[in-house]
Amino acid sequence: MECQNARSLIPSYLDGELTQAQAGPLRQHLLDCQPCRGSAQDGKNLKRWFAASEPVAVPAGFAARVARRALQGDTGEFPPSLAAPRAEEERGRMLRFVLTCTAAAAALLFVLSLGMRQLALPHSDRMLADSSPQLSRAIQELDRLNAAERKQKRAELDAVKTKPKAGPDAPLESGKKP
Amino acid sequence: MQPRLMEREAPDDTCLVDEVLGGSQASFQLLVERYEQRIFNLIRHYTRNPVEIEDLAQETFLKAFRRLASFQRQSSFYTWLYRIAVNTILDSLKRRGRSPVQAVEDLEAVPAAPSAASPSPSATLEREEIARITQEVLEGLPEIFRTVLVLREYEDMAYQDIADLLGISIGTVESRLFRARARFKERLLQKHPEFGNES
Ligand SMILES: [Zn+2]
Repeated sequence: MECQNARSLIPSYLDGELTQAQAGPLRQHLLDCQPCRGSAQDGKNLKRWFAASEPVAVPAGFAARVARRALQGDTGEFPPSLAAPRAEEERGRMLRFVLTCTAAAAALLFVLSLGMRQLALPHSDRMLADSSPQLSRAIQELDRLNAAERKQKRAELDAVKTKPKAGPDAPLESGKKP
Repeated sequence: MQPRLMEREAPDDTCLVDEVLGGSQASFQLLVERYEQRIFNLIRHYTRNPVEIEDLAQETFLKAFRRLASFQRQSSFYTWLYRIAVNTILDSLKRRGRSPVQAVEDLEAVPAAPSAASPSPSATLEREEIARITQEVLEGLPEIFRTVLVLREYEDMAYQDIADLLGISIGTVESRLFRARARFKERLLQKHPEFGNES
């Protein structure tokens, strides 16, 4: 093998890209030829700069988060099954529900008090409801919120039941959603 | 490579892909868990910011999910995922205007300078210190050179796989690697002349 040929093969050789048939003669040439051996050593030196460094830390729960987002994005709906439900999420869901109810109740009270003040003397529920469109709107709103909440719970229950393959945390997933 | 233990006991990638296509979030989570470390390690060679690393990793997996139906199974799932990761990284570099402006052809036309002896990290240098210097040098290289070096040296990819991944010929991989190494050496010596006197 000639030096020129050897030199052109050295990078591939160091990268493990040569077949045995190609590598054999090159190895022999490197044994016999000091300058080419130097060139191979040079290539090896450069490779030492690429020693593996510490792996990057993957944040805890990354895969669960990404999988949840992926499935959410796909359907555009609520997560079909929270394969690994996390406590803070459950708390968040509960909190949202409580806040919604509180807000609705506060609105109802406010409207109610307005209604009471504006009406001279409300004697019955019937009269109150009839005479205050704002109040009935507030009640309707509350009903709507409750219905939406029920629907969401049902959807989640269904999703759990029809989940094709149970994840490791699936047994934790019962219908006991807030 | 992934530990063999895992391959033996866990469902293989194609099974998981089928389950994901059938709507299984748990199976997608398994796929992400299987490759998240390698994807994070890959991205780290392009940005050191942990938030950016996580964002790019997430973007990679979400894109993979959306395109899963187009996964042809001629290549391995990982190769396919990898291509998405590399493209996501390169797109992001472009978006942020951090990709060097030179055109690929210009870079490939420039002959590699006849090189001095390659500096070798001195024996006393800590592994992390070597990694830091290399990272610093890589960051100054045009993206096409950085990418072939990362894929070849860190990811240990075969020329053929790099060629497939980047959509270039094996010959181009070889010549690009050759130039990339010459540039790397040159820049390393510029930044750290102290390594130039090593044997
Ligand atoms: Zn020779």
